[in-house]
Amino acid sequence: MKITIDNKEIEVEGKKTILEVAREKEIFIPSLCDHPRLAPFTGCRLCIVEVKGTRGYPPSCGTYVEDGMEVRTKTPKLQKLRRQILELILSEHPNACLICSEKDKCDEYKSTIRKVGETTGCVLCSNNGRCELQDVVEALNIKEVSLPSLYRNFEIRKDDPFFDRNYNLCILCGRCVRICHEVRGASTISFVYRGTEAVVSTVLDRNLLDSGCQFCGACVDVCPTGALAERAVRPEGLADKTVKTICPLCSLGCELKIELKGGRILRSVPSAEGPVNQGQACVKGRFTISDLVYSPQRIVKPLIKKKGRLEEVNWEEALDFVARKLRKYKSNELAVISSSQATNEENYLFQKFAQQGLKTKNIDNTARYSPLACYWEWAQEKVLSPRLNFRIKDISQAKTILLLGADLTISHPVLGLSVIEAVKNGAKLIIVDPREICLNRYSSQWLRIKPGTDFYFLNSLSKILLDEEQSKETSKIKGFESFKKSLDEIEMTKCSEITGISEEDLKTTSRIMLDDGPAVFLFGLGLTQHPSAKDNLTALWNLSLLRKAQLYPLSLEHNGRGELEIRRSFREGLDFKQISQAVNKKIIKALYLAGPFPLLEKKKPEFLVIQDSFVNENMKLADAILPGTTFAETEGTCINLEGRIQKLHRVIEPSGEAKPDWWIISQLAQNMGYQGFSHKSPFQILKEMKKTVPAFAGISNALLDNGKEIFIQEGKEEKGKFIPLEYKRPPSKVRKEFPFLMLIDYNLDYYRGLNLSKEIKGMRIIRDSRWIKINPEDAEELKLNDGEEVEFGSGSKRVKGVAKLSDAIPRGIILASFLFNEKPEFSVSRLSSGLNPDDYPLKMLPVKIYRGK
Amino acid sequence: MKSRISLEKFEEIRAKILKERETEKTCITICGGTGCHAYGCLKVARSFEEEVKSENLQESVDVRITGCHGFCERGPIVVIQPEGIFYQRVELKDVKEIILETIVNKKIIPRLLYVDPRTEEKIVLEKEVPFYKKQERIVFGNNGFLDPADIKDYIALGGYQAISKVLFDMTSEKVIEEIKKSGLRGRGGAGFLTGKKWEVCREVSSDGKYIICNADEGDPGAYMDRSLLEGNPHSVIEGMVIGAYAIGASEGFIYVRREYPLAVKNITIALEQARAYGLLGDSILGSEFHFKIHVVQGAGAFVSGEESALMASIEGRRAFPKQRPPYPAQEGLWGKPTNINNVETWANVPYIIKNGADWFSNIGTEKSKGTKIFSLVGKINNTGLVEVPMGMTLREIIFDIGGGIKDNKKFKAVQTGGPSGGCIPASMLDLPIDFERLTEVGSMMGSGGMIVMDENTCMVDVARYFLEFTQEESCGKCVPCRVGTKQIVDVLTRITKGKGEKGDIEKLKELSNTVKTGSLCGLGGTAPNPVLTTINYFRDEYEAHIERKSCPAFVCKDLIAYYIEPEKCVGCLLCLKSCPTEAIRGERKKVHVIDQELCIKCGACFDVCPPKVMAVSKVTGRKKERLLKKVSSARAKR
Repeated sequence: MKITIDNKEIEVEGKKTILEVAREKEIFIPSLCDHPRLAPFTGCRLCIVEVKGTRGYPPSCGTYVEDGMEVRTKTPKLQKLRRQILELILSEHPNACLICSEKDKCDEYKSTIRKVGETTGCVLCSNNGRCELQDVVEALNIKEVSLPSLYRNFEIRKDDPFFDRNYNLCILCGRCVRICHEVRGASTISFVYRGTEAVVSTVLDRNLLDSGCQFCGACVDVCPTGALAERAVRPEGLADKTVKTICPLCSLGCELKIELKGGRILRSVPSAEGPVNQGQACVKGRFTISDLVYSPQRIVKPLIKKKGRLEEVNWEEALDFVARKLRKYKSNELAVISSSQATNEENYLFQKFAQQGLKTKNIDNTARYSPLACYWEWAQEKVLSPRLNFRIKDISQAKTILLLGADLTISHPVLGLSVIEAVKNGAKLIIVDPREICLNRYSSQWLRIKPGTDFYFLNSLSKILLDEEQSKETSKIKGFESFKKSLDEIEMTKCSEITGISEEDLKTTSRIMLDDGPAVFLFGLGLTQHPSAKDNLTALWNLSLLRKAQLYPLSLEHNGRGELEIRRSFREGLDFKQISQAVNKKIIKALYLAGPFPLLEKKKPEFLVIQDSFVNENMKLADAILPGTTFAETEGTCINLEGRIQKLHRVIEPSGEAKPDWWIISQLAQNMGYQGFSHKSPFQILKEMKKTVPAFAGISNALLDNGKEIFIQEGKEEKGKFIPLEYKRPPSKVRKEFPFLMLIDYNLDYYRGLNLSKEIKGMRIIRDSRWIKINPEDAEELKLNDGEEVEFGSGSKRVKGVAKLSDAIPRGIILASFLFNEKPEFSVSRLSSGLNPDDYPLKMLPVKIYRGK
Repeated sequence: MKSRISLEKFEEIRAKILKERETEKTCITICGGTGCHAYGCLKVARSFEEEVKSENLQESVDVRITGCHGFCERGPIVVIQPEGIFYQRVELKDVKEIILETIVNKKIIPRLLYVDPRTEEKIVLEKEVPFYKKQERIVFGNNGFLDPADIKDYIALGGYQAISKVLFDMTSEKVIEEIKKSGLRGRGGAGFLTGKKWEVCREVSSDGKYIICNADEGDPGAYMDRSLLEGNPHSVIEGMVIGAYAIGASEGFIYVRREYPLAVKNITIALEQARAYGLLGDSILGSEFHFKIHVVQGAGAFVSGEESALMASIEGRRAFPKQRPPYPAQEGLWGKPTNINNVETWANVPYIIKNGADWFSNIGTEKSKGTKIFSLVGKINNTGLVEVPMGMTLREIIFDIGGGIKDNKKFKAVQTGGPSGGCIPASMLDLPIDFERLTEVGSMMGSGGMIVMDENTCMVDVARYFLEFTQEESCGKCVPCRVGTKQIVDVLTRITKGKGEKGDIEKLKELSNTVKTGSLCGLGGTAPNPVLTTINYFRDEYEAHIERKSCPAFVCKDLIAYYIEPEKCVGCLLCLKSCPTEAIRGERKKVHVIDQELCIKCGACFDVCPPKVMAVSKVTGRKKERLLKKVSSARAKR
């Protein structure tokens, strides 16, 4: 269709508002409440226009173009009305600086005043220079405000982590409320009261922390004024440089814009162009990056043990020392632990160093326990080659979503948004989790399953589906008959008893399952961190064939998928657990740690090298410590959980003498005299990988730079087949002496050696890694108070925690954070290291709670 | 599944009801409107029932609590049918007398009759009472005859005939054609042609449609919708069923304020009964038409009466209005085509179907057809609800029906259309009331509020009062309404406090214009009307406030002073004793004096000073200044 705006003829396609079209054509229409991610609000009334044949002044943000429309955006009448409306806004907003004749000359030095609590003018406002109100005042050329001030004198809310809320600066554009509701699905904030008292607030005006806020910061990012201000950068002013890179704090790979001032990171904001996150981030990506990079826990100099003490040395000496020591060991006495938070190039080099240099196959890392790696390992065993790549955007198009054992809002927050979007588009969400998770409010069905009984649940569901509907296509799939036969062994009543899910709920679930439309099964650690993980996967696989659903395994760490792809192209020796056992048994004598590892305590190997960016507990035992950089100081590529390969950009110079991991490994390898480690940059490594790692075929630095979406290569997907089921012992019962089952809250709150939910204040407030979540009724029986220190464990193995009462936790269960980098007395990992991990996986350890002091 | 009650069965039921009522019984009807409730009508009714029993009259006398009769000023109202004997302000002690005298002995009790204040004539019959005489009660007509809690009463009066006519003899196009032909316009205020509105909604194709009855009557002083829901809920239900059939909606909502408990109760009872009689639900009267109605209670925000805000509220969201287009007929409740009409509009529908479009369009003016219910309140003798044909003049309504201004004071203005209507001055009393005329003079029909003001009303203060109301009720979504009204209120408040400045009138006009043209919804779009009309018609009062710091109506406290005229004061101590701040000094038989510094202008002295003496007077403007100067100079001398 054709329309004219200010006599300019414009061709328009699709459903668009006048404002959208005007923006595309760079025709400026002032507006304050509109936002590209949000539905039209039409509250600020600044974007009003004249449309021929239409009465009054329709707002361009809420008026969709129609063929032949004649729009005028700048008639004197409009401009006058806009100015009057803007004056009304300014009469509520501190405006002295906005209209001050000296505003251009006002000096920088006033920025220190920003530290004062009250904002009475722009120079005192943290948003100075970013403020959209300033832009509009400028555009409409407001020189004075003739109306008396209506300063509202709200108390500034400073009682939440990360940001302050000063509603005296709020213009009630509602963007924060709308993004919280429409995009984030949290609906933490809302408008309250009417008339001049109208303000944005929470239920009963509690603080955000107590109102279910996830602190994703989306509200701060959309706020056009300084009403919502990130506390850490309040006094800092504007950035002078912005670098885009990929967030390393979960496997989604959100693109962040890191803002710098004088070479120092100010803050990180989600990039609107980010293909994965499209302007969204989570609390970690939004608020912890600069604290992480500049953490006092950083190691910035190499250290080696001299006469029993760690001493700072230069790199040459450190590398010489490590090379000399490592040369002493036979290949089967050596093991390397890498990190799936490192880049592809670094992981490749770790592998190459271990396998071709040290000649050991004993290299692994924690990513082995991710649902993705479990799934892949299971598929190998079953001789299946399922696709691992998927598209997040397919989730928002799904009609049925089954979410098993993952609290996405915490573990993969931005992925959770796609689930919410799907539900808003009419999808039915089924959640299978013993915990009440954030997404529950969007679910059609929440099946509060007894931990560890997924196998029974999934098979019961398959059985009902088969009983109710059996399409010809399914019965043609290989292995159908034997699968069907194996299902016959199931007794439904017994299954209800085992899983705790009523037959009625199962029926309802099956009815949802039988709906048409694309289905997606997402599964997390709840399904796979378990002795019967592989049986669970078989059951889920069969169910997915029945329902023609896509299986989406949730990778955990930043580059878990990349690490897996690289590992697949090398040989494998001892795995993570076996290495740990071999260390304990002193079979492994030299250990090279570049990633998380259980506390060694008294089991120190003869020679221990730790390469990390942050101090960690095992370092006390180390013979050499090599300071690696963080993601912000290095470059390279990484692969997110979808299989999307993205590029990390160097944001700042390395801190102190820290060096990127790839540099450390290549230098060490060269020092040891190995060939093939003379890379000058990560991209030279990538070039080599292109030939040696199949998934990287065709991927080049140049390709990554041209901004296209690139997914790694996958082998051909073979047709699926049903796998017959094998029934094993039912899950272990709770023993009297250990009445609680401990579940692990694997929330990925760490980066390399840094425990975010302990070392970063705001994170500690919202989810302290030392919290032991427990049902309030259980707590009452134990006479436990919220915040009380407790001891828990089984027998002589005990660790400490802080009781956190939570209705989300079912009775008889406690939920503990699992971090290798916790102090020994708080380290949950200690509970299991002595036990045979196959008996009691970390996820379901029977424990007892001993009261604190 | 077909309804258990087919059309034939229903007509059998109707015949049975009619048969039961064939013998003409005496019926004592007691008005059960909220006004009469407040006067204690329930006790009166119960007493009637007891007396009828004790006199053994059950066979020949019925006692019925009916819907609102409209003449709220005179409650509790008792009308004895079939004669139509009208007793007013009936108290408990009168009950026995009525039974013995009027019912048994067929004698009129003159004491309880209404006296025409003009002729001092006692009037026996309801229809002869001037308040009713000039009215044309169509929608309200049956209110006084039926018990809203008994569907049989409505059926006996021919109720639900329109439904069967529509369901079995008319296509939906035909229904819309009929409504269009009648010229019925929405009674909620904007006056959009109802038939046209239905047609638009009908023509949108969708897998589901809704209709809504807007019973969120928020205008202070307006209560006709409440009275209809309370008094004749089935007429609203019947109208909705017809509308739903015409539009093709399968679900309807009645959005009623929680502050109307009796309306909620009666409509809920009525819905239950209608369901039981097969008039709602699946296969209505055995037809292929299914329709159900839900009652949603609003929490009392004024803006919830705005259609898009109302729909947001039904959906469970904050009552924020929405930009239109898309109109509700395109994207309404939960995104489905929705038709929303006001209670009174729905209640008109069955009568139009029953009596025909021509009958309806014969009533009223060229462009505004039918009748309109007004709630006549303020400084008027006959407060109440009046239903008049469109085109009646304000003078007829206020003086003939309303009985003129209280205490024989002078009429000053009438504010129509609720808080955002305009104030119409005395010079326009002969204005025939219809949608266009009211808009032309800067006011509006609104929902039909009519607030009469006498000479003791300050128009600046009135404007401030109304703006304060709309300001507090502004939803806060759009800037012009939220902040603009606040700025207007501040200027008006300043003026009434004697701090008006030159240019304030222009400032007010400019702000009003910004709010009117810039606002998102009708609330802001009309909120400045009281300011603009009072400036337009009573500009001299504004100027008096601003330039002479004078309030001609002696209302604005900061601009007036109370003064005891020494020549008149008899020294009776009455005012001195009544003064709460002991601001009056004096002794018996000596002239009293008000200490202006202590005086809080409560007016107690003015009120207690005997009418024969009238020594206390109010002064304003220069007189006040002179008085205060005198006082201060007297103090200086001391």
